[in-house]
Amino acid sequence: MSDFAPVLSARFGKKNSSALATYVADGGYESWKKVLAGSKTGEWTPAKVTDLVKASGLRGRGGAGFPTGMKWTFVPPKEKRGDKPVYLLCNADESEPGTFKDRILIEKDPHQILEGMMLASFALDVKHAYIYIRGEMVHGAEILNAAIDEAYAAGLLGTNVLGSGMALDLTVHRGGGAYICGEETALIESLEGKRGHPRIKPPFPAVSGVWNAPTVVNNVETLCCVKHILDRGADWFKGIGRNERNTGPKLYCVSGHVEKPGVYEAPMGIPFRDLLAMCGGMKGGRKVKAVIPGGSSAPMLTGDEMMDVPLDFDGVAAAKSMLGSAAIIVMDETTDIPKAVTNIAKFYAHESCGQCTPCREGTPWLHKMLKRIVAGQGKKADIEMLMQVAGQMGNGMTICVFADAAIAPILSAIPKFREEFEAYVAKSASPGFEQAAAAGITSEVAERTAEGMHS
Amino acid sequence: MAKVTVDGRTVEVPGTANVLEACRAAGVDVPHFCYHPRLSIVGQCRMCMVEIEGVPKIQASCTVPVRDGMVVLASSEKALSARNATMEFLLINHPLDCPICDQAGECKLQDNAVAAGLPVSRTVEPRRQFPGYDRTDIGPHVIADMTRCIQCTRCIRFCNEISGTGELSLIERGGHAFVWTHEGKALDNEWSACAADVCPVGALTTKEFRFRKRVWWLDKAKSVCDGCEIGCNISIEHRDRTVYRFLPRVNLAVNDFWMCDYGRFRAEELNGNDFTRPILRAGGKARETHWGEALDAVKAAVDAAVAKDPASVLVLGSARLATEESWLLAQLFKGTVGASQVEFHPDLGPERKIKNPAVPGGWLVGREAAPNSRGAEAAGVARAGKGSALARLLDGSYTPEVLYVADAEFTSRVSDPKFVEALRRAKTLVVHGRRTNPLTEAADVLLPVASLAGKEGTFVNVLGLVQRFQLAIVPPPIVRTDLEVLLHLGKRWGVFDPQWTARAVFERMKGTVPGYAGLEWDSAALAGSDPSASPTSAYDVLLERRLSNPAEILASAAEARGARAAGGEK
Ligand SMILES: Cc1cc2nc3c(=O)[nH]c(=O)nc-3n(C[C@H](O)[C@H](O)[C@H](O)COP(=O)(O)O)c2cc1C
Ligand code: SF4
Ligand code: SF4
Ligand code: SF4
Ligand code: FES
Repeated sequence: MSDFAPVLSARFGKKNSSALATYVADGGYESWKKVLAGSKTGEWTPAKVTDLVKASGLRGRGGAGFPTGMKWTFVPPKEKRGDKPVYLLCNADESEPGTFKDRILIEKDPHQILEGMMLASFALDVKHAYIYIRGEMVHGAEILNAAIDEAYAAGLLGTNVLGSGMALDLTVHRGGGAYICGEETALIESLEGKRGHPRIKPPFPAVSGVWNAPTVVNNVETLCCVKHILDRGADWFKGIGRNERNTGPKLYCVSGHVEKPGVYEAPMGIPFRDLLAMCGGMKGGRKVKAVIPGGSSAPMLTGDEMMDVPLDFDGVAAAKSMLGSAAIIVMDETTDIPKAVTNIAKFYAHESCGQCTPCREGTPWLHKMLKRIVAGQGKKADIEMLMQVAGQMGNGMTICVFADAAIAPILSAIPKFREEFEAYVAKSASPGFEQAAAAGITSEVAERTAEGMHS
Repeated sequence: MAKVTVDGRTVEVPGTANVLEACRAAGVDVPHFCYHPRLSIVGQCRMCMVEIEGVPKIQASCTVPVRDGMVVLASSEKALSARNATMEFLLINHPLDCPICDQAGECKLQDNAVAAGLPVSRTVEPRRQFPGYDRTDIGPHVIADMTRCIQCTRCIRFCNEISGTGELSLIERGGHAFVWTHEGKALDNEWSACAADVCPVGALTTKEFRFRKRVWWLDKAKSVCDGCEIGCNISIEHRDRTVYRFLPRVNLAVNDFWMCDYGRFRAEELNGNDFTRPILRAGGKARETHWGEALDAVKAAVDAAVAKDPASVLVLGSARLATEESWLLAQLFKGTVGASQVEFHPDLGPERKIKNPAVPGGWLVGREAAPNSRGAEAAGVARAGKGSALARLLDGSYTPEVLYVADAEFTSRVSDPKFVEALRRAKTLVVHGRRTNPLTEAADVLLPVASLAGKEGTFVNVLGLVQRFQLAIVPPPIVRTDLEVLLHLGKRWGVFDPQWTARAVFERMKGTVPGYAGLEWDSAALAGSDPSASPTSAYDVLLERRLSNPAEILASAAEARGARAAGGEK
């Protein structure tokens, strides 16, 4: 472990880390030059780049952990797609609560993203690539645009890149501030100028994406990894990490009750215990009560469940949660879990795109019920109802997995911290369902009476 | 084609069909809101959930293309509980104001709630409100009430994909989203009321019909719009001898699912007759009389004129008469009386258009403002053009003894006093009329006739299709249909029998009138499906089950989607 040297974050501490000169001084754009030069001699072909990425075992860093090289091979070959261009979209919408790794990559080291995109564009025969950046990241968009200007000026982008005859344009597109636009098909709709509504899949973007053309969407960090794989080889990349299915360096976003929250780079699969140590341990030496290991969409785990979990895709999945965007939210024993869950529910109620009935109606309903419970107006039956209502929103009930994400915190927190929810309803001033039933009033009337009939 | 088994029933459907369409083809009624055969698939309402064998997750059937050999479980416990879940979600914020909602009785949400909803409400949270966006005009015909909207986006897709005018959009996001017109714009296009038709709930209703009648009281007659030569198939919805509204009937060959606002809102014009008895006018004085005297007077004038010169009688038919009526007119005057000048004046009007993927170019265009010029010609009434008797009458080179006008509204020019003055030069002017206009005011003999709603017959539309329309309401006493007037008149020459119905006339003429050979009154001539079959109209839920031609509609929806996909549209 101790011999691991940061890769993705290597330049973060440097002065002028975002400048082209700094990047080039560290050997930046060597892979891009190498591949372009080699493309003339036949030494480098798009297939060779793709094969290298496949061999590295790189899995997408955007949330789903889908093997990147395999995703690229879903783009139909030229014979099949005809005149249609292929687009590469860099997903820089980073809005998952707890996630802030892409932002620092953008602000501190934009050129490694650009070089990753250039190499991916070569592999995929892309002539125009886009970076879709979260609307709120105004500063990041400025930095990216400055970096792109520098790259054009240096001949690294344009109609005849470095005299190779290859053309590549790169455009930054700013989002309007909707979380859902990070979902790749909503991102595509938004890029087309429409409302950010996720599309029905299939067709998947690789077959029909932006403007109905084959499209690859990759996360910022994923594309950075591509650059390093081309720099140092697939074997090097595969050598980092716990096993063949979970490879490479990884950025972890640690927030919550730790001494030093922040972005930490570590080999994929670092145990939670070790990452916690890197962060200086728990604030005030308190105990870990609960951890959300992959952004707010990931099921919550208790501190005990979490301690030895290896932080990679399969490791966290085995613990019945997910690595997601590697946003690790650590909560100590002072945390009020029902309130934390209410806060998350508020986020999802606010961010649902509203297309699907269960998500549009369900997310605000869950939030209202939780608010009522933590305000001391819940009753015992409400806890079961939360589980039930959440249970009828996911698993295919909606167009995208946003709804599954929205219910994960509730479905995981209630069974694990039921006594905290029960404590709230026990304190409740409302007469409640049981007392009414005991008094011989039918359940429906009881519920309504109990609530003063505001419906 | 693909073989799909739904709840044990195997059907064959086009390869481009989706699972929802396959279910319906198999006679399994999967409830749905956002799906519409003519609009793009969005899969948003999540009402049409079914299980598909081999697919682990529950599926929105409208979003899944069929596969050969597919096995669908549309009524499994999992499917039903998914649909119950969606219904519950739809209802937690719905105002449930059916008692004061005009859509009640033909609301898909209400129907589905009655059919499958839960008997109790589990929510106690306050319901969503849209202050400022309830009960508000959004255009000349449509009123919006967003508290009732279920965000199915059918109306938005109608404006984007059918009218092509794009006035509507979703504003805001998630649970706060609502449908509205773009800033400062109105929902104002030639077909705007169709947006209210496709709305499954009471969120969009039409000003004209709103609160006029509970829909379950309405009787329906299959009819054909007489607003232009397209001849959209309509349902005349009426009660107690009053017409309340028109709704389009689905006819894939003609109006598809639509009709224009102009045609639709002519509905209430069919009510009322300004004349309740025949009128004779002499020396500037008008007096009401009985049919016997009026028709005897017509016969006497015609006989006297013909005795002098058969060319001194001019008969003006109309492209608004049924073919049966035009035929009687031609038979009587050309055949029996021997007056050869039987003409009609083509009535060019503003262009009307109906989108229909089945016609070349995708649009049906109506340039004539009357439904049946083709039928009139086929029946032997000549189209008046250059050199016609009418043209000569208008240019002053010809003055008839008797001018017989079988429709006081045969052209919009009758409101021009100059035009009427020219017609008035005839010594005797006979007019069939219903509403007072300069021509009826000038008539020597005015014969009161019924509106479209009060008669039956056939029209031949712009495509040459013979379309029958049914009687909706019985005309007021004494008022007669044009057909009856002509039969009674013909009886005076001993050629017609007033007992004949429109059907009897149809049977007599069909052998000799081009385009009618081999047609049957009961079937072939009555195009379009059942009025209640239109997925946009009353009893919507029963509807799609009662379609007289469901296979055809499903196939055409699948075909249109296939064509769109091939064209590269999303
Ligand atoms: C609701 C939702 C939000 C998402 N937000 C992001 C995001 O902000 N950034 C991102 O890279 N991926 C996000 N994703 C995942 C993307 O859909 C997509 O899988 C990813 O960008 C693919 O890149 P990768 O293969 O490099 O991981 C989101 C997915 C969902 C369902
Ligand atoms: S699940 Fe929610 S966010 Fe995703 S498409 Fe449906 S409504 Fe939109
Ligand atoms: S107004 Fe009607 S048609 Fe339009 S989205 Fe709402 S419910 Fe659907
Ligand atoms: S297009 Fe013509 S036939 Fe159709 S509704 Fe309009 S006026 Fe009537
Ligand atoms: S009808 Fe299928 S999702 Fe709406």
